[in-house]
Amino acid sequence: MKQGILTLSELTKFIELLKTSYKVFAPVKKEEGVFFEEVNSADDIALGYYNSKLPPKRLFLPQCEVLCTFENGQLVEIPIADEKCAIFGMRPCDALALSRIDMVFDKEDLKDPYYLARRKNTVLLSLVCDKPLDTCFCTSVGGGPSSGDGSDIRMVHLGNRLLLEALTEKGESLISSAKQFLKKPKQSDLEEKEKIVAESEKKVPRIKVDGIKENLEKGFNLPLWSAIAERCLGCGVCTYLCPTCYCFDITDEVKGEKGKRIRTWDSCQYPLFTLHASGHNPRPSKTERMRQRIMHKFFYAVENFGRTFCVGCGRCVRSCPVNLDLRESIELITGNKACVSTRK
Amino acid sequence: MENPYIPYPVTIEEITIENEARDLKTFKLVFDRKEDEEKFRYLPGQFAELSLFGKGESPIGIASSPTEKGFLLFTVKRAGLVTSELHSSETGRKIGVRGPLGKPFPWERMEGHNIVIVGGGFAFTTLRSAITYILHPQNRPKFGKLMTIYGARTPGELLYKKDLEIWSKDDRIELHVTVDKATEGWKGREGLVPNIVKEVSPSPKNAIALVCGPPIMIRFTIPVLLNLGFAEDDIILSLEMRMKCGIGKCGRCNIGARYVCVDGPVFTYKELEGLPAEY
Repeated sequence: MKQGILTLSELTKFIELLKTSYKVFAPVKKEEGVFFEEVNSADDIALGYYNSKLPPKRLFLPQCEVLCTFENGQLVEIPIADEKCAIFGMRPCDALALSRIDMVFDKEDLKDPYYLARRKNTVLLSLVCDKPLDTCFCTSVGGGPSSGDGSDIRMVHLGNRLLLEALTEKGESLISSAKQFLKKPKQSDLEEKEKIVAESEKKVPRIKVDGIKENLEKGFNLPLWSAIAERCLGCGVCTYLCPTCYCFDITDEVKGEKGKRIRTWDSCQYPLFTLHASGHNPRPSKTERMRQRIMHKFFYAVENFGRTFCVGCGRCVRSCPVNLDLRESIELITGNKACVSTRK
Repeated sequence: MENPYIPYPVTIEEITIENEARDLKTFKLVFDRKEDEEKFRYLPGQFAELSLFGKGESPIGIASSPTEKGFLLFTVKRAGLVTSELHSSETGRKIGVRGPLGKPFPWERMEGHNIVIVGGGFAFTTLRSAITYILHPQNRPKFGKLMTIYGARTPGELLYKKDLEIWSKDDRIELHVTVDKATEGWKGREGLVPNIVKEVSPSPKNAIALVCGPPIMIRFTIPVLLNLGFAEDDIILSLEMRMKCGIGKCGRCNIGARYVCVDGPVFTYKELEGLPAEY
C-alpha cells in the first residue's frame, strides 16, 4: 500500500499505533517556538507550524553522545542505541538535510555506526511545507516544499485530513500496517495536494545561486571574505542550527576511575576547531572561518558529493545575533546584489 | 560493521628517548590480541590515532614498517594533552591504537623507480618506515637507487641514531645526514637540508622524491628539486593537521575539498598546488 488518507480525527489512533512500535517524535509548541520532542499523544502535536527552532538533526546526531566508556584507563564498550523511532511531521528541508549528512556518514568504506543505527531504526514522515517563511530559500538550492529526499513517507495537510505517500519500503510497510485508519485517496485529494504544493512553491522566496560554485572555485582570495566576516561574532549559532552541519569534537570526560568518550557538536566558526598543538592555526581569523563555512556548503560539498550542503531552511538567517544574512553573502559571491533583505 | 571509533588495545613495550631535548620519544607498542595485529594492515606513510582513555586521542605517523612484525613504532613530540600524558607514561601501560588511517605513500607507482627521501627534524618518522620497508630483502629489488638526505638542527636532535648507523654501512642506500649546526665531535655534514639536496643533486631521472619536514624546509627544498628537474607529480609530501575522527567525518582537517585524514596525509606537490594554501 503506497498511499492513504488519514482523517485528523483518526490521528490519535494513528499515533497510538505508532507508539506500539516506535518512540514518536513530533513538533511540539513551546514558549520559545516549535521543537521536536517525544510525544505521548496526538494532542501534543503542532501540525500547522512554520518550522522548528532547532533542526531535528539532533535525533540522529545528538548534541552530546557517548561513543564508549572506560574504567581505570581500559575500554568498556557500550551497545549502540537501537531504539526504534518515528519522526512525525518533519519539514522536507530538514529531511533533505539528512540525506546530505548520509553522504558523509554512510560512505562506502567509512561508515559511522552511531548515526547509521539511528537512521536505520527511524521511520521518517515528512510534512509538505505549506508555510514557507520569508527567510526560506529551499527552491533555490535544490530542495522544495514537497521534496521527498530523506523521508520514508511524505504527508500533505489537506484541511481536515492528511495524505500519506510512501517513498521507501520502510514507509510502505508502515502505511500497510496502519491501513485500518487509512482511506484510499480520491482524485480530488491528489488534485488538492498538487494545488497546495504549487502554491507553496510559489511562496518560497528565491535567491540567485547560479554560478556560485564557479565563483567560489576562483574566489578563495577575494576581499569579500573579510567584508562578510566583519560583523560576525563567531558565536557559531549558524552552524549549530544548520540542519546539514555535522562537524563534531571528541573529548574524554573522567570522574574518578570511570569515564566516557563523548562526541559533541563542534563548529568551524571556532578558532580551536583547527588549532594545532604546535600553536599553528590554518584558519586563524574569522575571515578564514567564514570562508570555510560558505566554501564547504557551496563548493567543497558540491565537488565531493554533487550537492550543496545548504537546504535553504533560513535558520542561520533568522538566528544570527548580528543579522548576517547567508542569502546576501551568496548574492555577493554570485555578483547578484538584488537580494531582498527581510530584516527591516 | 566494525566500529571505526573503537581503538585496539595495545601495551607500551619499550620507550626510547630520541633527542637531547627529551621531547621526542619513540613508543614501541604491542597488540594485546593477535587478531588485532592481523587486522591492522598498513603501509608506510599511514598514521593512527593513539588513544589514552581519559585524555583523548592524537594522530601520529607510523614509524615502524609493516615488514617489522609484532610491534608498531610511533615517535611522538610532547606538545599537547595526549602527547604529554604519553611522555609521562612508563612501559607496561595499556593504551589504544585506532587505524591504520589515511593513504600511504604511492607504493605501486614508486615501484621500478629510484627513490629520493628528504627528511628534516622529527617529521622523519614515516620516512623511517619507508626506508625500512624498501630495504627489506623482499622489497629492495622492486626499487632502483635509494638516496636519503636527512637533517636536524643539531646532532642531538637526530632521530633513530641506531638505524642511521646501520644504514650508513649499508651499500643498498646512499645516506647523507646533516645538521644545521655542528657540535663538538660531529664528523658528518653541516648545512641546511635544501643546500645539501642542491649539493648532492639527486638525478630526477626515473625518480620519485618523498619529502617530509618542517614547513620552512619544505618551502626551500621544493624549488631545489624542481630546478633539478623533478616533476611536480613526482614530489610526494605528507601533511599534518588537527584531527579528531581520522575517518573524514568530524570536519576540521580539510584543505579545500580534500580531507587530510582520508585523502592524505600523503599528497603530491602537484595536488597541493591545486588546493588553497590553507594549511
